[in-house]
Amino acid sequence: MQKYNLRNGDVVSGAFLAALGLYIVAQAYAWNYYNPDGPGPGFFPTWYGLLMIGLALALIVGTARKPKPQESPKNRDGTKRALITWLAFAACIATMGVLGFRLSFALFTFFLVAFVFQRTLVAAALTSVGATAAFYIVFPVLLGVQLPIGWFGF
Amino acid sequence: MKRRSLITGAAIFAISAAFAPAFAQFTPTQPIELVVHGGPGSGNDVMARQMVTIIEQEKLLPVRVQVANKTGGGSTTASAYMASKKGDPNTIAIFTVVWVVDPLTQEAAQNRLNDLTPITRLVTEPALAVVRADSPYKTMADFLKVAKDKPGTLKQSGGSITSRDNIVRQLLMKQTGANWAFISFPGGGERIAALLGGHVDLMIMDPSEAGEQVKAGKLRVIAQIGDNRLDAFKDVATLTEQGFKIPDVPQTRGVVGPPEMPPAAVAYYEGVLDKLRQTAGWKKFLAESQLENVNEKSAQTRTFLTAYEGQLRDILKEAGAKVVR
Amino acid sequence: MDIADGLLHGFYVALQPTNVLWCFIGCLLGTVVGILPGLGPAATISLLLPLTFSMDPAGGVIMMAGIYYGAKYGGSTTSILLNIPGESSSVATCLDGYQMARKGRAGAALGIAAVASFVAGSVGIVLLTLVAPPVAAFALRFSSPEYFALMVLGLALVVLLSGPSLIKGLLALLVGLWLTSIGTDIFTAQARFIFGQAPLLGGIEFMVVAIGVFAVGEVLANIEGGEESQLLPVPRGLRNLLPTWADLMACRFAFLNGSVVGFLIGVLPGAGGTIASFISYGLEKAVSRHPEKFGTGVPEGVAAPEGANNADTGGALVPLLTLGIPGGSSTAILLSALIIWGIRPGPLMMQESPDVFWGLVASMYIGNVMLLVLNLPLVPLFAQLLRLPTFVLHPFIFGISIIGVYGVTGRVFDTVLLAGFGLLGYIMTKLKYPSAPLILGFVLGDAMERALRQSLMMSQGDLAMLVQRPISAVMLALAALVLVLPMLSYFNRARVRALAEG
Repeated sequence: MQKYNLRNGDVVSGAFLAALGLYIVAQAYAWNYYNPDGPGPGFFPTWYGLLMIGLALALIVGTARKPKPQESPKNRDGTKRALITWLAFAACIATMGVLGFRLSFALFTFFLVAFVFQRTLVAAALTSVGATAAFYIVFPVLLGVQLPIGWFGF
Repeated sequence: MKRRSLITGAAIFAISAAFAPAFAQFTPTQPIELVVHGGPGSGNDVMARQMVTIIEQEKLLPVRVQVANKTGGGSTTASAYMASKKGDPNTIAIFTVVWVVDPLTQEAAQNRLNDLTPITRLVTEPALAVVRADSPYKTMADFLKVAKDKPGTLKQSGGSITSRDNIVRQLLMKQTGANWAFISFPGGGERIAALLGGHVDLMIMDPSEAGEQVKAGKLRVIAQIGDNRLDAFKDVATLTEQGFKIPDVPQTRGVVGPPEMPPAAVAYYEGVLDKLRQTAGWKKFLAESQLENVNEKSAQTRTFLTAYEGQLRDILKEAGAKVVR
Repeated sequence: MDIADGLLHGFYVALQPTNVLWCFIGCLLGTVVGILPGLGPAATISLLLPLTFSMDPAGGVIMMAGIYYGAKYGGSTTSILLNIPGESSSVATCLDGYQMARKGRAGAALGIAAVASFVAGSVGIVLLTLVAPPVAAFALRFSSPEYFALMVLGLALVVLLSGPSLIKGLLALLVGLWLTSIGTDIFTAQARFIFGQAPLLGGIEFMVVAIGVFAVGEVLANIEGGEESQLLPVPRGLRNLLPTWADLMACRFAFLNGSVVGFLIGVLPGAGGTIASFISYGLEKAVSRHPEKFGTGVPEGVAAPEGANNADTGGALVPLLTLGIPGGSSTAILLSALIIWGIRPGPLMMQESPDVFWGLVASMYIGNVMLLVLNLPLVPLFAQLLRLPTFVLHPFIFGISIIGVYGVTGRVFDTVLLAGFGLLGYIMTKLKYPSAPLILGFVLGDAMERALRQSLMMSQGDLAMLVQRPISAVMLALAALVLVLPMLSYFNRARVRALAEG
């Protein structure tokens, strides 16, 4: 019996999109589909939600039925690096409200250069200070564009 | 001797304590933030920047004023921002009708305008009911007659269903039994284009939008919406004069402060804005933008807003909008 | 005053030394504003508004037009070099422009963007001068059914932008449609998909999605790829830094396409540079002899959208100057400024304020030339930016993304959304979902839904109206063609293959 190819990105994303479609249609159900004047707020979401479910299922079925391709060496390290970077980015944004852009961005840059890009600590420090300073000079000072300010007032 | 001075001292102390609030002057020492709920270039933003320009030219404030655009969700971002600045005497905002409407219709808009500190009402925006110059309607009555005879065939372009355009429509429809469709367009340009192109029959416009088109003979004003006739349109009757007595639901703008703003600060801003009203620059701005001056202080504004909120609530319910508060 | 006289008078006004100076300042500021994400021409113009009150109106309007114009030129710079759209109408430029940069042809891409902007911008101004009133009258015949048909045509182009997997492209499109419906429905004030978050009541700002998916997503993908996927070094030598003659020849149709499409769509109130650039890009791909190469870095893929977003500027001024109708946010500010100066744009503006009207038009010719002269020599300079080592460049891109988003909206909430979209962009790249359809769905979805509902309200539920009106019928037919032809050729190829094997 042909093994169905289920453990793969397309199938997972397809499942997720099908679930999203379901959510959309469920939400749209609560709104008016058609008003006396014309289509209501539920009209469009219902349709693209249904289409989403249909296409997602087609994707899952289509992918699952294909024979499993040769396992190319997965770039686990690369993916890990990218995800860690993203987590650091998210942390930078999350702390911006408290630390202010300058501080959280400097910390983020330092982390990125030292650990993700694997440079020397000196390079990390220089880059982080330099980039932050550059942003500070160009944006708030020269152009008057405010950067997020934290509890410490900067 | 000592007892007398003690009593005198106590008396003086008591008397001055009674008068202290009147003496407690507020003077801003930090830059003032003027919050606007629209983006750069929107009507409120332009008005805010004009205010700042005039204030600076006439030196009405000892500190700088900075315009801060807090856009998002109509007024919700701006009003939430104001609500977060409890007691702060250095932040004020320009409010419009949207600040009253949003909390009524949106669950997520949690800050009522009266929960903040209304300072003053500055202007009302009169409006004009406009049709194409080549249409058969010469007065509002003509339009309403056709709308009554053939319900649903005539169309009006306007903003969202919570906007003044629709509110006037709802009131007129209720009063006269007429019925015509309302089609929402997000931008003023599209609304005017729809009217000019013959795709809709009626539009309720700001006088500044209408002026040029009317002068060029492309559009005709069939009624004015306001208490008095505007100078530029002396020969067009108001709705009231034409016999349609609908409750006055003005489009109005004013200044509001954060919740629990110190009374001294409120009084101070009232004074500054009063002086603003007297300046030639402001009068010129009002004339150019065809806005009407309003002079209401904090207490009056509060009363006005409470009544206004109640009025809008009823009207919105009838219009079919979901009212959540 | 007829056109020739008017133009002559206009040049007389525009060539006054002070006005030339204002034009230059405007163009320079505009270029800077366009390059830096987070600053838009709208914000800049309104910041400078108070300054201009003390100026003579002609000079003020010339400067503001210069800013508006220059921003369109500058917007392509970060799009090409860093995959960060500088302006919402520069997003389509990212598609091929950035890919050209990755292949070491950043200079050529920047150069083509500048040339396309110049050519299309000039054509736009010429059209504005010559045919503004009739075009404006034509534009008035466009109403919701025609807008709907236009959007459908735009969405049909998604079929062309999907790349290898049509299903994934369509799914990305649908997600884009969903994202754009988050917010408050204008017709019923119903809040949709806001997850209880008040900041979402106004919908998601386009730049947040674009910068997140494109810039942040791309950086994350690069980091996954490791040092090997570093941007290729910029070739030395001026000759390699500018477009070749072959490049320019390849773009001849693109220049025309961008000019005409950009101008026509710019004229329509409510449709702007973003839509124009995507439709122009899609059109270019549809008529190209090598459509499969789009998205990998072809010069026409840069020329078409860049031209379109510049011609759009000329187009947007048509309804403003001839009818007094603002076409979008930038022209709305111009309108407010003109009103404050006591000038009323409208059908009578040409007669009442010929100085301002013709001065503005003439200054745009001058400004266009100034911008070409400003931008071309800067190309090698900007291309050097790519020499920065990746460990400096990448944090820089992250920083600019945050600043760009915060600068547009002023809310930290949007930077949180940025992080989310960055992750989405990364996942999409990894799973081979094309991002162009997502952006296209986001740009067009809202407008399309509105146009359909408006149309049905106007016709009282009668769908047939959409095909009864000539303009919309033609566009819908084109859309159908766009959708059907590739499928025909697909079936044809499959049939040929089957025959060959059978």
